[in-house]
Amino acid sequence: MDGLDWTTSAMRAARAQLDVATHNLANASTDGYRKSAATVALTERGLTVTARATHEQGAVRSTGRAFDLALLGDGAFRVGDDTTRSGAFTRDRDGWLIDDRGRRLHGAHGALRVSEHAKIDADGTVRDGGRVVDRIPLPPGTHLLAGALETSTVNPIGETLAILTAQRAFETAQKTLLAIDATRDKTANDVVRVR
Amino acid sequence: MNRAMYAAASGMAAQQTQLEIVADNLANADVAGFKGAAATFADVRAGSLGLGTTGVGKHAVFAQGKLVRSGGAFDVAIDGPGFFVVERGGARAYTRNGEFARQSDGMLRNSAGWALSGVRIPADALAVRVERDGRVAIDTPAAKDRTIAHLRLASFASPEALHALGATLFAATDASGRARLFAPGGRDGPALAFGMLERSNVSVIEAMMQILGAQRAYEANAKGVQAADEMLRIANNLHRG
Repeated sequence: MDGLDWTTSAMRAARAQLDVATHNLANASTDGYRKSAATVALTERGLTVTARATHEQGAVRSTGRAFDLALLGDGAFRVGDDTTRSGAFTRDRDGWLIDDRGRRLHGAHGALRVSEHAKIDADGTVRDGGRVVDRIPLPPGTHLLAGALETSTVNPIGETLAILTAQRAFETAQKTLLAIDATRDKTANDVVRVR
Repeated sequence: MNRAMYAAASGMAAQQTQLEIVADNLANADVAGFKGAAATFADVRAGSLGLGTTGVGKHAVFAQGKLVRSGGAFDVAIDGPGFFVVERGGARAYTRNGEFARQSDGMLRNSAGWALSGVRIPADALAVRVERDGRVAIDTPAAKDRTIAHLRLASFASPEALHALGATLFAATDASGRARLFAPGGRDGPALAFGMLERSNVSVIEAMMQILGAQRAYEANAKGVQAADEMLRIANNLHRG
């Protein structure tokens, strides 16, 4: 790896950091979203950026809807074949609990079908008419809060800073690249002048 | 940079949607029976690659609004879930806005001309009352406390899937299920409150906070677009001819 490769990898890394920051920022209002953190590592192939999900708990806001569920702790809801931390569920015509994309919320024994009087306890137990019908599986230590949603953990100020930092890093790398290029220009054209 | 630019732009669009919904909530904060709406967003991913956000839906929040004494002679409020059934020109709709007025034809209509279904007040009625169980009683010169109708409320399997016709008016859809009519005033069921109105369930303070938040988040996303653009400019300056 020479100087050009290093600075190119630095520019790529800055771009990847920008991707992560803008994605976070775009999801500042996405309930249940947990921000990605970009870590820059120095390897023998230059700078690399990896994005990983963070596990910070988001703030909880109450919504007044019985089937809005906030997860307090880790874990996720199973909806169809996917998982999500976004807990905005409603009852459809046939009593299935669905999210806004129409995917059904699963308990331990398959998709949940309840009456409008169903209650969901903090430990995930689903009660319908005083009877336990199912349980939403939760990892140990995690609780549910019904009638509330977990808000996004994105902090717009932090992401704006990350964007600025990425932009400046990109700029610095570009300047360095230009300097290296200027040196090579000299070497190629001025040092050895063949007449 | 294009990825970042589109991700940031999707964030701007999401905040705009959020602003529109909150502005609509706020505009109707003083409308009796109005139910605020909320938008839901989801992050867009391709594997580990984040690609911004997308709106996945908007639903009304049917939380109970506060009941206030209104002084209107024909105002009714629902304490609990359910909807009034109203009719206009053969069409049927559902509302929680109980701000009615007695018309010359004996119908109780709201300001948009929708009449409370199943009630016609005789011309000689001096006073009209609605009991908590939906019984409509009138006093006439000849008789006191004569029952003329029993109001029935409508409930839906999935009220969130109702189609909004106006600020407080809804129509049944395939997804909401058909209206089930029931008599109010049951042991645990909703009851009617005569002379009261249900205020909108919009919290003005919360709406203001949401507007401020959405505005700032919009600006921050716009900065993201700008940064992506600036980086493209820098990349373009790599080659100095």
